[in-house]
Amino acid sequence: MVAASVHLLDAIMIMSWWRRILLVLIGAWVPTAIVFAWWTASADSTNPYFPPLSLIVERFTELWFSQEFVTTVVPSLRNFAIGYALACIIGIIFGTLIGGSRTGIKYAEPIIDFVRSIPAVATVPIFIVIFGLDIAMRVASITVAASMPILIATIQGVRSADVVQVETARVFHLSRQQQLWRVRLPGAMPLIFSGLQLGLQIAFIVTIASEFLGSGFGIGSFTLVATESFLILDAWTGVILMGLLGYLINIVFDLVERFSLRWYYGQKKIV
Amino acid sequence: MSTDITISNVSMFFDTPNGRKDVLDNVSYSVTPGHFVAIVGPSGVGKTTLLRILTGLTQPTGGSVEVRGKAIDGPPDGLAVVLQDYTRSLMPWLTVEKNINLPLRNKKMTKSEVRSRVAESLAEVGLEGTEKSYPWQLSGGMQQRVAIARALATRPDLLIMDEPFASVDAQTRFDLEDLVLKVRKDFGITTLMVTHDIDEAVYLSDEVVVLYGKPAHVREVVTVDIGFPRSQIETRNDPRFAELRTHVYSLVRGLAEPNEAA
Repeated sequence: MVAASVHLLDAIMIMSWWRRILLVLIGAWVPTAIVFAWWTASADSTNPYFPPLSLIVERFTELWFSQEFVTTVVPSLRNFAIGYALACIIGIIFGTLIGGSRTGIKYAEPIIDFVRSIPAVATVPIFIVIFGLDIAMRVASITVAASMPILIATIQGVRSADVVQVETARVFHLSRQQQLWRVRLPGAMPLIFSGLQLGLQIAFIVTIASEFLGSGFGIGSFTLVATESFLILDAWTGVILMGLLGYLINIVFDLVERFSLRWYYGQKKIV
Repeated sequence: MSTDITISNVSMFFDTPNGRKDVLDNVSYSVTPGHFVAIVGPSGVGKTTLLRILTGLTQPTGGSVEVRGKAIDGPPDGLAVVLQDYTRSLMPWLTVEKNINLPLRNKKMTKSEVRSRVAESLAEVGLEGTEKSYPWQLSGGMQQRVAIARALATRPDLLIMDEPFASVDAQTRFDLEDLVLKVRKDFGITTLMVTHDIDEAVYLSDEVVVLYGKPAHVREVVTVDIGFPRSQIETRNDPRFAELRTHVYSLVRGLAEPNEAA
């Protein structure tokens, strides 16, 4: 599946600009149709739970193109960014150290298996006990949950490094540490990125979920409070905003991955 | 200093689920400094095993290998390698320049020294201007040239090549063989090469070591008494070349008795 989408992207890259526009239009057709259907079907809705889309859009612009965005969404995004960045750093560094050590995996494996078996969201209450209802609690839950798939992918990637690459480094007198950080780790990046992708989804979920518990700010909290106060219109705008944010975050991630792994995709295209 | 590498009674066996498998039996041989030596033998005879022992990647189960009078227990100093599988021995995430840099990290060289060393090495193999390319953007023959440049950049005393030209087409192979002869003329590095191509072994070498038997021993060391420079057309048409290749071929196939006890 990865290969198929890679070929698709390569195909897009060599296309002329008007074919690219055409392709975007084709891709945009289905979402456009859904929005259109929603718009018309909900136009005369009197059901309080499914207000007309036109009203939702109106409220959306009112709410999120204002100071409200800064006070509600920015804190969520900040927690998400800090938590995920820490997860990436911790996952990759510890993953490399554990994967590169002959005995490390024996000690680490049971602990990792235990921690990763805990549903990500279930760690939130524990961190409330430890950190209180603070930013630290939210960031810590995001980091712990999101670092697990990154850690595991890094360990696997580093351990399954290409034997020829590692032996080549060895005969050229690279130290064990150099073999680890300069050969095993970069070689593991394609696998690590699949862990980073998984961690990204988890980080986003935990960002929202951590706000569901006893907090007063953030987009998750906003949406929950709106629902509980029967501000259904506001709740809808919150849900749509979360969807859009998740979508944008994924686009950014794909761009970073394409750039970081250009050697990997380039090599696959030629081989 | 009369020998660069001394292989003394090297034996090797592997423990397999079907019992002990002996691969090498009392292999002894000494390499003269500056010589180019090819190791040939039937498929599966243990050529690559012997080479791995010489690179220090594998410890023999018996005997020893000395490089410049010192027994090795890991990759010896001044060693550089060129392997058959260039797509795996060059790091695909590094550009040509950075691939060549990689073994230079631990040498105390300034940035500009490194840069000029890389440029020199690429010029030696005829790949000027490819610094910023990735290996996989180059043809197989060019990638193997990069691998040779990487080896040369370390200024090795000892070059070990494992079937370096087995994965390229015939024309490229001839070009790379002549490149190796040029490198040899320019640097005079002691070189050991494993190959299954007998013509290539005779064409490039001062001596051809024939491994034979299960477990393998040195059947004969054939001295290639053909002068340098050699050329693809003249050398290969030399009657002496034909004699030597026929002799080596017969030894490898088990058809001829060795001329002298090796």
